[in-house]
Amino acid sequence: MIRTVTIPHLGRVEGHGGIRVALADMSVTDVNMDIHEGSRYYEKLLVGKHFRDVQGIITRVCAICSADHTVVALSALESALDVHESERTSVLRGLLLHGAAVESHALHVFALALPDFLGFDSVMAMAQRYPDEVAFALRLKQLGNHIQSVVGGRAVHPINTLIGGFGKLPDHQTIASLRRDLLEVIGPLMGAIELVSSIEVPDWAARPTLFVALRPTRDGFGYRGESICTSGGAEFPVEGYREAVREFSVEHSHARHAALESGETYMVGSLARLALWGDRLCGRAAQVYAELFPDRGVDNVLLNTRAQLVETVYSLESAIECCEVLLGFDDAETEQQEIVGRAGRGVAAIEAPRGTLIHEYELDDNGRVSAANVVTPTAQNLANLERDLRSSGDHLLRETAASDAELKRGFEMIARAYDPCISCSVHVMRVEDSADDRA
Amino acid sequence: MKDMASKPRVGIFGLTGCAGDQLQILNCEDRLLDLARDLDIVDWVMVKTDNDHDCALNIAFVEGVVATERDLESLRAVRRRAGILVALGTCAVWGGLPAMRNSLSKEALGRETGCGADGGIEIEEARPAADFVPFDFLLPGCPIERGEFLALVRALLAGTTPELPAVPVCWECKTRELPCRVIFNHEVCCGAMTRGGCGARCPGHGVACAGCRGPVEEPNYDANVAMFADRGLSWQDIAARMRVFSAPVWMTMGLEREARRGGND
Repeated sequence: MIRTVTIPHLGRVEGHGGIRVALADMSVTDVNMDIHEGSRYYEKLLVGKHFRDVQGIITRVCAICSADHTVVALSALESALDVHESERTSVLRGLLLHGAAVESHALHVFALALPDFLGFDSVMAMAQRYPDEVAFALRLKQLGNHIQSVVGGRAVHPINTLIGGFGKLPDHQTIASLRRDLLEVIGPLMGAIELVSSIEVPDWAARPTLFVALRPTRDGFGYRGESICTSGGAEFPVEGYREAVREFSVEHSHARHAALESGETYMVGSLARLALWGDRLCGRAAQVYAELFPDRGVDNVLLNTRAQLVETVYSLESAIECCEVLLGFDDAETEQQEIVGRAGRGVAAIEAPRGTLIHEYELDDNGRVSAANVVTPTAQNLANLERDLRSSGDHLLRETAASDAELKRGFEMIARAYDPCISCSVHVMRVEDSADDRA
Repeated sequence: MKDMASKPRVGIFGLTGCAGDQLQILNCEDRLLDLARDLDIVDWVMVKTDNDHDCALNIAFVEGVVATERDLESLRAVRRRAGILVALGTCAVWGGLPAMRNSLSKEALGRETGCGADGGIEIEEARPAADFVPFDFLLPGCPIERGEFLALVRALLAGTTPELPAVPVCWECKTRELPCRVIFNHEVCCGAMTRGGCGARCPGHGVACAGCRGPVEEPNYDANVAMFADRGLSWQDIAARMRVFSAPVWMTMGLEREARRGGND
């Protein structure tokens, strides 16, 4: 008997998507992660725009990832314009990315994912049973936003971030006070981590997965890098990302899907970064990593929530270091460079909270955009997400004879574990074939 | 409010957009649990899984543009359900960035029709939600200001609506005694034509206003354009910048025509 399990509108994710899974007897026959949000054509909207106007437009691909789109866009444009970021600009951008990671991970772990594991419909419902934990999670999220406000000028869609620097530098007093706030939050975070480590991660979602993440620029862990690495051992320079990542259209979605040139699907995001570079963590982040991943096993997407917590600790500790470095510079008003428009091509990638985010721009002689391309984490994850839905469905049917209601809950948990950002994934036009896009 | 003796039933919805205005509600971290106490939020897909998609609502908040047939159906359904309907953000009020696509041809966009899952078919132009159904209150901003949202909720609970600032960003900039981006830096600053309420955040960071809150009432468009032109700024740059957040309304004000005429000079 063939039947379909449908989740028309997936809740507790950013954007509009649904899931349809067709089942025959004890196995899954077809899986669709439907994205029904409209395309917004960002790459086409940028054509003809002056390089200075790009950031304010492209950041609006997605609110939750706005700081990440900002930093990667500026880096790619600077590469095209042969502009080099100063040390202070580099540290401030790093701090901004840590703020974005803390905010995004706190939101996903506590408000979007944890209610699944604890059996609540929302974070508001969870607050009645776990008032202290929720209050702390909101404080943590607020601190992530505060970092983004201090560096970017506001929590969503930064305005202070310029090619070659910043409009207004945060003063030492602000940074010193931020540093104190960061120090205060780490202790209570350890308590929240205990709650998470006490929650068992179901094994029906376990499946060997290929992971992809940037090799961190420095020797340690990090969100910025110059080459794309796979857990299979392959490595590609960021400039050659089109040789590493193959994007293609599917009938049921406004978002592109992606696979490696070999056809393998893969996962990007916190779990991928830990799989590839987790051993480089130090300090409390390393302790928490050992606690939440006792055998270092990462082949279960439901562990992504734990991975995000490890990164939250990493980002808080790193943000403190950033503050200390910033306090060593002279207190200055602004940091800007004279920039002349010129022709060029620039590619940059960073690790956004949800995974590797790539921007590419081509500028004409006047410094106006002639072409742009953006590859988002969620678009890269969708094909792998569908494979996880298929394998989990099979497992749940065969091992536990799950009811349709149980299947639905399982499918929702899988999708949410990826922390999909659907707005990001539909930023572009649909292309019939990836070749069109490479012309 | 007459039928709000108990907690008002509230729905929060997003059409096509970046979810930034819903995120700004979540960004009211220190007030979120108060909001959940004062409002009975029964339909908010971004935050809850147990949603009632059919019940009548005392208040509904909608962000985003209408870009697909599904958007339009959702918007009309929300209008039918809601006593008070509020547009959140510049997309819903003015069209925002997605409406920039309207001046580009289908070929330039590389666009196809009939794609996407059921209901995902695109309509010809992406337009603000406010163009399709009557709204009871419009709160612009890209994203909305947290303080303005919280003040709006307080006012709605008290049975009224707040007054938004009628002054432009330029006025707020002057009261902060910030150096003018147009006069001193020869930048295209949209502050004189853009609705205030942000406290001139961008000029405060040494950056020209990008116009993200949409036009102030009766902007002196001609004087602004002349002022930019006097400083040798190109028409294309003026047009490109001013239509980023509210293309539909600037188009009707003739910016495109002026820009073309100026560009031919």
